[in-house]
Amino acid sequence: MPRDFVDIFGNPWLAAAAAIAVIMGFLSLNALMLIWMERKVSARMQRRMGPTERGPFGLLQTMFDMIKLLGKELITPTHVSRKLYLSAPVLMFVPIVAICSLFPLSENWVFHKYDIALVLVLAFSSMSILGIFAAGWGSNNKYSLLGAIRSILQNIAYEVPLILAVLAVVLVARSLSLYEIAMEQSPIPYILFQPLAAVIFFIAATAETNRAPFDIPEAESELIGGFHTEYSGMRFGMFFFAEYSNMVIVCALATILFLGGWHGPVLPGVVWFLIKVYALIFIMMWFRWTFPRLRFDQLLKFSWLLLVPLAVANLLVTALVLKLL
Amino acid sequence: MQSLLDIPRGARSLLKGMGVTIRHFFRKPVTVEYPRKRAPVAKAHRNAIVLIEKDDIGSHNCIACLQCEKICPSACISITGSRPDGIAFKRPDKFDVDFALCSDCGLCLDVCPTDTLGYSEVYDAAGYSRADSKFDLLEAWRDKEGEALGTLRERERKKKEEREAKRKAAEEAKAKAAAKEKAEGKEDDKTGNGTAAS
Repeated sequence: MPRDFVDIFGNPWLAAAAAIAVIMGFLSLNALMLIWMERKVSARMQRRMGPTERGPFGLLQTMFDMIKLLGKELITPTHVSRKLYLSAPVLMFVPIVAICSLFPLSENWVFHKYDIALVLVLAFSSMSILGIFAAGWGSNNKYSLLGAIRSILQNIAYEVPLILAVLAVVLVARSLSLYEIAMEQSPIPYILFQPLAAVIFFIAATAETNRAPFDIPEAESELIGGFHTEYSGMRFGMFFFAEYSNMVIVCALATILFLGGWHGPVLPGVVWFLIKVYALIFIMMWFRWTFPRLRFDQLLKFSWLLLVPLAVANLLVTALVLKLL
Repeated sequence: MQSLLDIPRGARSLLKGMGVTIRHFFRKPVTVEYPRKRAPVAKAHRNAIVLIEKDDIGSHNCIACLQCEKICPSACISITGSRPDGIAFKRPDKFDVDFALCSDCGLCLDVCPTDTLGYSEVYDAAGYSRADSKFDLLEAWRDKEGEALGTLRERERKKKEEREAKRKAAEEAKAKAAAKEKAEGKEDDKTGNGTAAS
């Protein structure tokens, strides 16, 4: 009998606190591992060695980096809008924790089964724009502001095809619950029914997380890092953290929607889930170290003139086929 | 319409690019962990010059002929040499190179009659002043110089002995031939003597 955190703890507040602790622990470990992985992948694709010094295969390197970041002075520039400036890293991070609590990791590893988990995920993921804009506006820096504006434009542009792609899956599954959607894919994952939606979703997700080739908000050469230019020490670390946590979120969502979630032979469900998530993350890193950055007009054109029409067509065809069947 | 036709081509090129990166992903890195391991030096590398060990001597074989000093366009080599006792060639007493002036043209290597000049494999030499770029090429060989001199003298002595023995043999042969001729008492043709002597 599947039980969720509320059943185990009895008290919903206690369950929430426990869930947050578990999620934060997982996310910190995950971010450290992913930064290591990114460095290793980039190094190998450029025929370098990557981190090798600390720990086996340099695994502990990012932990030392984080300790260094924690020890750094937190500089608050003058003339910043203090409230926005200080709240931006938190605003970035809160929706991430909220989204993570919605994912079913396996049949039994669920914090709570919401009927409309998918809507919540999409709603919370839109909230991270707020953090970016607070950072960009609050920093009182033209680079930050430009980076934030670009990021928001990009997020709006790519949220449309993302949601349209998700809608096609919802039509097939006839449910908005992530748990139900994953359960529906027991024999065949939806990527076989909805290959176009899967591709559109993954491209849009890459853009949503501001990853290359869609990393225009962070364009080092023109915007000096974009919206987090003025942040130092662990405040910058939080943005970094958020970026990698966002990667996990979109990849987990893609796993649940298209790759059949925890379903797989032999291995336990959680292991299958994590394997799929990290395989997708590897593909994202692979993208980053292969493709050059898009120009901003190309980026918007790609979304509005290609992805959106394709996603709409896909949705219409899906609806038609489902009606006829 | 054109942009629609570009989609499959663009997608293919993206996949091709990904193929390139993944291929390199599984290959061995070409870099090394530098301070601990060093990249191998290329065969055609050029660097500061050094004196190379010649196997048969146990040291360098510089004869202080000064050809490298003369041909050097940057005048960065300065050599003085003297002839030790019992050796036919000179040996250098001083072989200084100012690498700050050197342009790695390699003329000194080309001109060296004993091929004892070569390029150093230390590619990361660094210093704090101009004086640090002045290298004394004999420094590495100083403690082997005595041994090398011994070997050279020995060789010289052997050569001399050989020469001596040869000369003696030739003289004996000549005497023999003369005696033979005398005994036979035939014609005293000079060409006959000559062939016998040689």
